[in-house]
Amino acid sequence: MIIEERASTHVYRQKRMFTKEELEAIEHLCVHEQPPYCNAACPLKLDTKAMVAAIATGDFDRALALYDKITPFPHILCAACEAPCERKCKLCEVGEGVSIRALENAALRFGASPKKRGLLRKKTKKAAIFGGDLFTLFLAGELCRKMYPVTVFCREDGYDAFVRSCAPELPEEVLLSSAKALSNMDISFVWNTDPIAVFSEKAGEFDLLCADFATAEAMFPGLDPDEAVMVCREHKLITGKTEGVLGAAFGAKKAALSADRLAQNLDPANTRGEEGSVETRLYTSLEGVSPSVRIPCTDAESAIAEASRCIQCRCEECIKGCAYLQHYKKFPRILTREIYNNVSIIMGDHMMNKPINACSLCGQCSVLCPNGYDMAKVCHIARENMVTTGKMPLAPHEFALMDMVFSNDEAFLCRPQPGHDRCKYVFFPGCQATAIAPATVRAAYLDLCTRLEGGVALMLGCCGAICDWAGRYEMYADTMVFLDRQLEALGHPTVIAGCPTCKRNLSKSEDLQVQGIWEVLEDIGLPEKAKRLNKPVAVHDACGARGDAETQASIRRIAQSLGCQVTQTPYEGDKSPCCGYGGLTQFTNREVAQEMTDKCLERSDLPYLSYCMACRDRFAREGRESMHLLELVYGTSADHCPDISAKRFNRLSLKKQLLEEIWNEEVTPMDLGFTIEYTPEAEAMMDDRMILKTDVVRVLQTLRETGEAIRDEETGLLLTRARLGNVTFWVKYEEVDGGYRVHRAYSHRMNIVNRL
Amino acid sequence: MADKNYYTIDPEGKLTCMKCGVKLQKGKAKFMYLDNGFPVELPVCPKCGFIYVPEELALGKVLSVEKALEDK
Repeated sequence: MIIEERASTHVYRQKRMFTKEELEAIEHLCVHEQPPYCNAACPLKLDTKAMVAAIATGDFDRALALYDKITPFPHILCAACEAPCERKCKLCEVGEGVSIRALENAALRFGASPKKRGLLRKKTKKAAIFGGDLFTLFLAGELCRKMYPVTVFCREDGYDAFVRSCAPELPEEVLLSSAKALSNMDISFVWNTDPIAVFSEKAGEFDLLCADFATAEAMFPGLDPDEAVMVCREHKLITGKTEGVLGAAFGAKKAALSADRLAQNLDPANTRGEEGSVETRLYTSLEGVSPSVRIPCTDAESAIAEASRCIQCRCEECIKGCAYLQHYKKFPRILTREIYNNVSIIMGDHMMNKPINACSLCGQCSVLCPNGYDMAKVCHIARENMVTTGKMPLAPHEFALMDMVFSNDEAFLCRPQPGHDRCKYVFFPGCQATAIAPATVRAAYLDLCTRLEGGVALMLGCCGAICDWAGRYEMYADTMVFLDRQLEALGHPTVIAGCPTCKRNLSKSEDLQVQGIWEVLEDIGLPEKAKRLNKPVAVHDACGARGDAETQASIRRIAQSLGCQVTQTPYEGDKSPCCGYGGLTQFTNREVAQEMTDKCLERSDLPYLSYCMACRDRFAREGRESMHLLELVYGTSADHCPDISAKRFNRLSLKKQLLEEIWNEEVTPMDLGFTIEYTPEAEAMMDDRMILKTDVVRVLQTLRETGEAIRDEETGLLLTRARLGNVTFWVKYEEVDGGYRVHRAYSHRMNIVNRL
Repeated sequence: MADKNYYTIDPEGKLTCMKCGVKLQKGKAKFMYLDNGFPVELPVCPKCGFIYVPEELALGKVLSVEKALEDK
């Protein structure tokens, strides 16, 4: 069977992955970009988290630059800010929150004032401010920063008196420093003036008229300004009531924005963006955060210590547990958007194909995320979409898909137990168990046949997970139909799955009763020859058992009954990471798959006990003591890291052995008529390059038919090739007595043709 | 106008076709993939037309072009 290659690059088909609403609904679940609690609480939008982080590193200059950005009078604000941020600090939940105001003060004390901004052109529209209070003081500063020529009409006779009148309750040193700052600003003052008296006379000279609320009310009794924009539309006056220092600073910010709108003859209420404090949906785990108390910020060192208590609130729950997200350094929302865009590209390079195919589809993120963000679902939908539009490259998945075809064809076996036409059960060990641990599969089947009543059929094959992971939905549907027919012929037996992924996959069919072999073993008891393992182990939960608490518990009970001391590991149970096999990552991106395996193994130094044979195999390849539960139960050992050819050989050998042993069917091995030897270098190279020994056999059979080969005169070795399906395989060999010795093998997918 | 060739290898008499018993010569060939063609000059048997694709080429340039086209 040949799987069709992807469509021509000149065929432009496109199918939307999601509607705009669906995409937004998915993205909404990711709270990674939500503001931290302190930032969200600040109506002035101080980047508190960044400011505290800067202080924690001793960078008071940067901290002050951030603080200075939000207000023209940082000393006044800091002296009397109500600090809603402190009440929202996440640390309050376990101890005392960070003293943010004290840290702002430290930034003012120890940080150098930021450099003046570059020369901006003065605006042509002129602003006049009548009267003085905290609001108009801040507003003068805000308008000055926006480069409006500002003139203040006030009763006071100088800067000190003006600031004192605006904020009488402030400490003297703050008043004086703020007065000095005010005097350095490019603001004109008309001192010793009654603002009410000069208003009508001077108003015509200015484009923007502002007033403190008391002055405005005196001039226009009963005026009712719109507090959201700080404008009294009736009198075209920027004014409003404010409370406290923070209220005045925020009011001035809103008023300054309104001034911009009014200066352009726009409605001040339009296109203002998000103002003020906001509710944040951020999630931050406090796991491992110990309660701590505030450190008085008396000097720079103590301020650094206090800032260092900040846990820099962020949600990275999924990234912390997932090697795939860590590899691509992207959180799910942005990854989803990029995948969506990638799928929408009609022509050009699809840069996200690799990330789409590198996800293990294990679903760990959906458990770790407080909102259940399911990156696996996004990647799976993207894969199916690419298959539909003919844009899914076959190369990354072809080996695995052909392996599945092999499992359900050449290596497939379905037989009722001898003496039973219809069986109550069918044992379905799964393709990886037969490939890696054939002796264990045999022992398990013989045991089930002996101890279960009603007949136990055997089905050696693939549950369809491989093509499902590859997004080949039509192939998956065909596989399900094929398996259903086989099961129907057996009399609809209850499936005893040897693998949690098979169990989950087959359970999707409503007509099927599916149990894990572990559940059966708990019912009928463990066989007598079960191997006791009296030592501590780390149980690695398979991704196929995510959400299946009963399976996870059953495995642990069996392990404990075999003497295993099951220890707790981080990310166990539903939070378990994938070993790197799931989702075909092992085939599509070896680097990511390796990182996934490393992530699994970093959780414990103990021997790993798995209940999925793929996990067991990947851990063993890393040199870990790794075993499958069934190896213990049946006292058998899996093969030690079989290569890709051995995995196929094992499946065929098991089929042959069982056919002969149980069903008395003789299987005649195929006689090639020639021998093939492989140098160790060739064997290693072929495993790495995913070239099977059966591929080499077919190339050499082609050679014997066509006689087409060349000799490399330098090495004396011969070279031949054959196009097998979508791939051309080359074999470098020498002729030996009765056959060939293979030295090298390689392949390419491009077809090579002669041209005139 | 000279043919455009993406890659050229001259066998320099170091390769012999076992079927025809003649030396391979530099000849015109074309790689085809996903409806794209790339003219090249590779060692070709002048009699039977056997085209030799060296390992370095298959695992180097050919592989990188394959990957680029697969993601088009």
